[in-house]
Amino acid sequence: MELYLGVDVGSVTTKLVLMDKKKKIWASCYLKTSGDPVLALKEGLTYIEDHLPRGGEIVGVGTTGSARHLAGVVVGADIVKNEITAHAVAAITRVPEVRTVFEIGGQDSKLILIREGVVEDFAMNTICAAGTGSFLEHQAVRLNVPIEEFGKLALQAEQSVRIAGRCTVFAESDMIHKQQLGFAKPEIIKGLCESLVRNFMNNLATGKTIEDPIVFQGGVAANQGIVQAFRDFFQGKKKIVVPPEHGVMGAWGAAILAMEYAPQETAFQGFEVVNRVFENRSFTCGDCPNGCEVVFLKEEGVIKALWGSRCGKWTPETVGQKFAESKLEEKTDQRELSVS
Amino acid sequence: MRATFPHLLHLDIVLGILYPTLGVEIVPPPPITSRTIEIGVEHAPQNACFPLKVTLGNFVEGIERGADTVFMAGGVGPCRFGYYGQIQKIILEDLGYDVQFVLIDHPRFGWRPFFQALKTMAGGRFSFPRVKKAVSLAWKALVFTEELETQRRALRCQVVNRAELDMVIDGALQSLRKVESGSEFERIKKEAWSDLSALERKKENNFLKVGIVGEIYIAQETRINFQVEKLLGDLGVYVHNSVSTAQYVLNTFPVLKSKEKLEAWELARPYLKRFVGGEGIDTVGSTIRYAQEGFDGVVHLYPFTCMPEIVAKSVLTQVSRDFDLPVLHLAIDEHAGEAGLVTRVEAFVDVLERRRKYWKKAEGE
Ligand code: SF4
Ligand code: SF4
Repeated sequence: MELYLGVDVGSVTTKLVLMDKKKKIWASCYLKTSGDPVLALKEGLTYIEDHLPRGGEIVGVGTTGSARHLAGVVVGADIVKNEITAHAVAAITRVPEVRTVFEIGGQDSKLILIREGVVEDFAMNTICAAGTGSFLEHQAVRLNVPIEEFGKLALQAEQSVRIAGRCTVFAESDMIHKQQLGFAKPEIIKGLCESLVRNFMNNLATGKTIEDPIVFQGGVAANQGIVQAFRDFFQGKKKIVVPPEHGVMGAWGAAILAMEYAPQETAFQGFEVVNRVFENRSFTCGDCPNGCEVVFLKEEGVIKALWGSRCGKWTPETVGQKFAESKLEEKTDQRELSVS
Repeated sequence: MRATFPHLLHLDIVLGILYPTLGVEIVPPPPITSRTIEIGVEHAPQNACFPLKVTLGNFVEGIERGADTVFMAGGVGPCRFGYYGQIQKIILEDLGYDVQFVLIDHPRFGWRPFFQALKTMAGGRFSFPRVKKAVSLAWKALVFTEELETQRRALRCQVVNRAELDMVIDGALQSLRKVESGSEFERIKKEAWSDLSALERKKENNFLKVGIVGEIYIAQETRINFQVEKLLGDLGVYVHNSVSTAQYVLNTFPVLKSKEKLEAWELARPYLKRFVGGEGIDTVGSTIRYAQEGFDGVVHLYPFTCMPEIVAKSVLTQVSRDFDLPVLHLAIDEHAGEAGLVTRVEAFVDVLERRRKYWKKAEGE
């Protein structure tokens, strides 16, 4: 059986999806990136290998997410795509008549408008934390509620309390204030959910017409409190769908894109990748005041890829030479290489 | 007098040609880097426009290099450009720099101060034939640097080897720095054109076409706008930029005027009648022109909080609908992150590609 692998490496979570030619998902996983995308990738690959159906063969790989280029080099990707396209493609596959996609992940949130199966407009928020999953997790810790319980608790509230939520800091102090006033936890949580939804709509949807069906995806879509808050926001007038695959839509989209791309021969490096030694290194270039932080990926001691050199003077070759000359590498540790 | 000035794409080359002939020593600021931005951000008021901050950084770095005079062009209200020079002058004074600040304002604020400033900028000499010759060569150089960049944008998607393209263009720009006579200039120009036409091209020619509109500084200064044009070109897109310093300068002189600008204003009229400052009307008009010329999309580049461009942005929502032309708005300031910008641009190109693939196909059936 011919299978496609989709990989979505974000700053907070890493997702992998294994899919067949009919776009059916055979295996998927959702892991914490925990600052080490290579490790998360290896874990994910191990999981996928364990769940590979008998006779299954990977014939195409797509990567997406903020670490899509790195993931592409490590796993061997046929296509490397941005998150917006990947999420849109998956949403259109799941709900062909979709008009709007809400995606809320750990670090960012997106709004995608779709017409006749083609993206028409999109907006992405990468700066403000008040509309993302991190905000919720943070508040859950504050309230001493496991994040999994968060949504359920919100549904128990009989009334909600308005939490001023223009930004994380304000929301937090206002929440503490409301706690002191004696509001119950469920009410406060409901208030927080509504505040996140308000932020999302204010930041991303201002001036845009939201048509339904709306597909709500991303890690936060698991939170029933948020789903309800969106329903309430539209006063129940818009159809909101939370697909069962909501957590891995980006990875699924990447797999679908790999299939559309249809490589002659896949660049997939095989599951042996998990046994290889990768090192993620960086140094600050001091050759001009830009002070670029150049990041590179070494596989078994060989520089495979490099990012962050604004003027383009650093390539795997030039960096290799530099280090060969100065033998700097042996002396310094992982994060603090410096080239003078 | 040792004068420094703000960077704006290749303005340093142009002034480098103009000034030695006039006998004024110029000290170009070092290329814009993160440090330039940091200096500007630190010393300018927080809510000042981003271009003001970056050019302020230029001045400080120019002064550090030994400049004792600052040349700056003043703008026209109603937006904040009207106060740029004044604010920067005060900031430099407050920082304790003892420099002469020469501000050349739009002649609509009076021809006398205009010529007075011109005269100071010309080193006090106003002997006509000499100035005329220098100005004419500098003007040709300005137009030529813009033409070179136009070619770079247009050809990036078409050539087989992009590094070669950059080499030809950067090489021509470098030789311009040393140009002294008109004949030398013509030789460089001829050589550049023949080198460009000799570059090997790809076979296909069905490229996506994207037009750039927006505020004069952000839309042009590649060191500030994260090289959006290069990024688009690398994604296989044919790029055209509607913003031009030469046209801006032309339009400053009532007798000359810029035909392109007037045309854009005419096109914008159904949507925006009043002058809103900056390039607001041009942004709207140029977008409409791109729609009429069959471009696939438009990228709108502007400084975050820029008033004229925010007005233009809201107007563009309607234009985009009326002409069925996707517009990507990119607001840029010191907080803009490269990763987010790249993701947006990539996604935008995907949108344009898929529109062509699915919709244009459907139309044909
Ligand atoms: S990589 Fe290039 S742009 Fe970056 S600091 Fe070094 S010399 Fe400057
Ligand atoms: S055009 Fe925009 S950026 Fe320029 S001065 Fe006016 S408001 Fe500021």
